[in-house]
Order: sequence, then C-alpha cells, then structure tokens
Amino acid sequence: MHELVQQEAPATSAVPRKRGRAIVVTSGKGGVGKTTTTANTGAALAATGASVVLVDADVGLRNLDIVLGLEARVRHHVLDVLEGHVTLDDALVTDKRVPTMRLLAAAQTREKDDVDTAAFRDLISGLRDRFDYVLIDCPAGIEKGFANAIAGADEAIIVCTPEVSAVRDADRVVGLLGDGRDVKLIVNRLRPAMVRRGKMLSVEDVNGILRLPLLGVIEDAPDVIVSTNRGEPVALDPASPVGESYRQIAQRISGTLTGVPEIPREKSLFEKLFGGRK
Amino acid sequence: MSARRIVLTSGKGGVGKTTTTANLGAMLAKRGHRVVLVDADIGLRNLDLVLGVEKRIVFDIVEVVEGRCQLRQALIKDKRLENLSILPAAQTRDKTAITELQFADVVRQLGEICDYVLIDCPAGIEHGFRNAIAGASEAIVVTTPEVSAIRDASRVIGKLQERGLPLRLIVNRLRPEMVRSGDMLSVDDVTDILSAELLGIIPDDEEVIDSTNKGEPIVLQTESRLAAVYDKIARRLEGELVPFTTFGAPGFFARIFGKAS
Ligand SMILES: Nc1ncnc2c1ncn2[C@@H]1O[C@H](COP(=O)(O)OP(=O)(O)OP(=O)(O)O)[C@@H](O)[C@H]1O
Ligand SMILES: Nc1ncnc2c1ncn2[C@@H]1O[C@H](COP(=O)(O)OP(=O)(O)OP(=O)(O)O)[C@@H](O)[C@H]1O
Ligand SMILES: [Mg+2]
Ligand SMILES: [Mg+2]
Repeated sequence: MHELVQQEAPATSAVPRKRGRAIVVTSGKGGVGKTTTTANTGAALAATGASVVLVDADVGLRNLDIVLGLEARVRHHVLDVLEGHVTLDDALVTDKRVPTMRLLAAAQTREKDDVDTAAFRDLISGLRDRFDYVLIDCPAGIEKGFANAIAGADEAIIVCTPEVSAVRDADRVVGLLGDGRDVKLIVNRLRPAMVRRGKMLSVEDVNGILRLPLLGVIEDAPDVIVSTNRGEPVALDPASPVGESYRQIAQRISGTLTGVPEIPREKSLFEKLFGGRK
Repeated sequence: MSARRIVLTSGKGGVGKTTTTANLGAMLAKRGHRVVLVDADIGLRNLDLVLGVEKRIVFDIVEVVEGRCQLRQALIKDKRLENLSILPAAQTRDKTAITELQFADVVRQLGEICDYVLIDCPAGIEHGFRNAIAGASEAIVVTTPEVSAIRDASRVIGKLQERGLPLRLIVNRLRPEMVRSGDMLSVDDVTDILSAELLGIIPDDEEVIDSTNKGEPIVLQTESRLAAVYDKIARRLEGELVPFTTFGAPGFFARIFGKAS
C-alpha cells in the first residue's frame, strides 16, 4: 500500500483554520431517527453559538431539509458542489432561527452511486476547516451511501431504537465502522411504560449488546412527529422535555456536561395529572 | 407459473416493510394460500427475527445463487403455519453479492411452487432495491403519514412506474387522534398526494412492537386487535371489495406539496 501523504493546501485567507469535528449519524436500520437526531443535535449545538454544518448524505431520498423546514430555500446540493457547478457558499443554506447553522442538502434526483467517496471525504475535510461541527446524516442500509457518509467522519453516533432488529443492525454497523472511530450511542423512541411491562427492551438491554458510551436517551413522543412534519426542530423549543434531552446531548458532545445520562422513567400518576412538563 | 410476486417497498426506512411482509404473509397462509417470503435485505436481515425463525437458518439466498445448496434446502418452513416458508437473506454479505437477473430467477423459481411470493425490500433505492423489484410482478408501497416518508414514497413510485409495475399503497402507523387534531396527515391526504390506489390502513399500535420483539406474527396471537386489519388487506389482495375504515380530517401540509385540500 502507498503511504498517504497529506498535501496541505495553501491557505487562501488570513483567517486561522479550524479543525472542527466530523460526526456521522448512522444506524443500519431505517427510520430509527437519524435525520431527526441530526437536525435536533445540530440545532442544539448551534444554539450555543458553535458553528455547525449539517450534511445530508441521503442522495436520492433527502429528508433533512424537510425536518429543518428549509426545503423551499434549497437551490443547490452536494453533487452540484462536487461536480464544480457551484461553490460551496452557493450551496450552503443558512438557518434563519439559528444563524450559526448551515445545511448542505443532498441531490434529490440523483443516485448514491454518482457520489465519489474520496471526493465526498475531501468535501467533509474542507468543511472541518470552516465549522466547529460537521454532522453527517447517513442513509439507511450499508451500501454505497453508507460508505460515502462515513468516509470523512472520525466520530460516529449510532441511533438505535429499543427493538431487536434495530439492535442487530446497529451491531453490524458498529463492526463496519471499525476501530478508528470514536463511536457513541443514542437510544431513541424509548417508551418507559412498555419497558416496565416487559414489552420493550430497556436501555440496559440494548447497551448490554452494543456496549457503547451512552450519549443520551430520547423518549417516544408525539411532539417529535409533529415537529418533523412542521420543520421546526423540538430542540429549539425551550418548553419541550424532548428538546431538553437533545440539548443535553449537545452538551455532552461539546463536553460541557459529563456523567451518566438520565434515562427517562415512567411518569407517576401525580405527574400525569398535574405536571406534564418537567 | 401462476404465483403473484409482490414486492413491499418504501424508499424511507423503518416504515414497516418487514412487519407488513411477515403479517400479511402469515395471514395469506392462514387463509389457505401457499406463501413464500423472501428477505431481500442482504447484510441487514430482519424478517427472520420478526417471524422468530432466526435460530433455524441453515442456508440463505446468496448460497442458493452461488449453487452451494438447493433452493428448497434454504427454505425454512414455519412451524405454526404449514403453508408459510421463508427464504432468508445472508447476514455477512453485501447486496452486490447477487445480480438483478439472479434475484429475478430465484423469485421465478419460487413462483412455481407457491401462490404468493412476498419480497421484503431494503430501505433506499440502491442495489438492494433494484434486486428486490427485479422479479416482482406487482408492488405494495408502504408509507407512514409523515412528510418525509411520503416524499420518499413518491420517488419510489416514480421508479416503479418506469418499470411498469402495478402498485398499491399501505398507510402504516396511522394515529387517528393526531389526524383529528391536525397534527398528522389523513389517509386521503396521502393517497391524493401520491395519487395511488389504497390497499390498506394499519393503525399505530404497541402490539406490533411487542410482536416483532417476540418473533410472533400478530396474526397468530389470539387476542389481537390488528389481526382483522391484516385480514382485510389479505382479502383485498385476493380481489374482494372490502370497505375502508375512514378517519376523515383536514390537512395543513400544503407547505410541502402545494396541495389545496
Ligand atoms: N423520539 C421520537 N418519538 C416519536 N417519533 C419519532 C422519534 N424520533 C423519530 N420519530 C419519527 O420517526 C420517523 C423517522 O425518523 P427519521 O426520519 O429521523 O429516521 P431516519 O433514521 O433518518 O430514517 P431513514 O432511515 O429513512 O433515513 C420520523 O418521521 C419521526 O417523526
Ligand atoms: N403499525 C405499527 N404500529 C406500531 N409500531 C410499528 C407499526 N409498524 C411497524 N412498527 C414498528 O416500526 C419498526 C420498524 O418496522 P419494520 O422493521 O417493519 O420497518 P422496515 O420498513 O422493514 O425497516 P427497514 O427499512 O430498516 O427495513 C418495527 O420494529 C415495529 O416495531
Ligand atoms: Mg433519514
Ligand atoms: Mg425491513
């Protein structure tokens, strides 16, 4: 094998380069909440003042623009940039609610095979020079789209629901990510009442198999469905308990919060009757 | 070869393709048809878990194609429903281990020994999707009443129509109370946006999560709320005209689809 010699590109401006973190959000299994997690974690990180770019790697089936409510403002996409039709700045969409957050959308009418993995890796590397955080929304599965999405990331967040099939798929993906990456876990859509009745795996069950550092646990909550439909991330709603869970995940990523994450428990009858929100 | 060869697909992940394949397949078998379920999700198989046969897998579809075993050796017969068999996917291989032609050929051979072949398609529209639709003669598009799922379904419907595959829609995980409060699209919204014919409506129910975890199809459970739902879908597939339960409500989703409702 060749030794890879990293050629430093000449600095184009006097601005000192950042070396931001590139984190891929992945799962194997579809529909477990990768896009929702990318949008909310990104929004929560950006709300603290960090510069964040969210990259949709789901070429052909993009969703991140919808979940962020930015679909009407997308003019160009990743492939336009990679193929040299537009500059990166032309393609980045700035969020109006959190101006430190940008979206780089995926192409909707193209295929994942059109994306060159090495070029995508270089694009992510370039984004790390400009942003504190590069979050990559990985497509379901372990085909070409997965290979592209993980290529430039040195950290990964595995999103897993407390279900046997999701755990099996997550385990396979952890294996494919290899040893070179820092991998952490988010358990999504937990229903504490079902866990108590023995009808759902507990967080301990899930992590007994996956054995990953736990970044956070998100409850199954209808507000999430409403917020993804409306394009308004719950993480930006100060009154939302699920939003608070995402904000804590953001703090754990940035290192401002440490210790074991809280696992949502079933509400007592008193809380159900008198205090929905905590 | 008279078997119906039906692929269940969606674009979006996790909308319920595998759950629906297992339960609809079990229901068709219960109604007396010979049914084979094919797991096309090579590398991330789940259908075996949902049916509770994961410990009985000896051979898989890749080994069939590579000539390492006979097709019948790879079929697992369900112990609860004698008309039901499953052809598992390989877990440690890639979707590219099989070509579209090879996949279509396996489905054709299965069509000679049963009445219904149901193919559980992986998420996405990559190689695994192209394999799964290669041998099918019709499609069921599974979607949830959510904006992202519908956009992905619409992309898949375009691809199915390019191939001339007839298709019908199943709307899964409907929550009537959220539809009534205007927080979820109604079934009418979904069928209008996608302009596709409806095959079935499945409510969101904890029963599904429990049954997939236990590896026991709902159809086989005695006190099931949802068995009647799958029964209706099976009868519609057979050609019977079964009326739909309606959950009417207005939609507010013109934002994405520019639909005047
Ligand atoms: N904590 C939650 N509570 C309730 N619903 C949720 C939660 N997280 C996600 N969902 C719902 O699940 C659906 C799927 O989520 P999402 O699109 O983020 O998954 P994904 O993993 O990106 O899917 P794909 O594999 O297709 O890319 C969403 O439409 C959302 O409404
Ligand atoms: N009607 C329903 N009510 C409640 N939960 C459901 C329903 N249908 C499916 N689910 C849950 O959603 C999860 C995803 O379903 P399933 O695995 O069938 O999706 P899929 O489309 O095959 O996913 P993938 O894209 O990863 O192959 C299941 O584990 C199941 O528990
Ligand atoms: Mg997604
Ligand atoms: Mg599946």
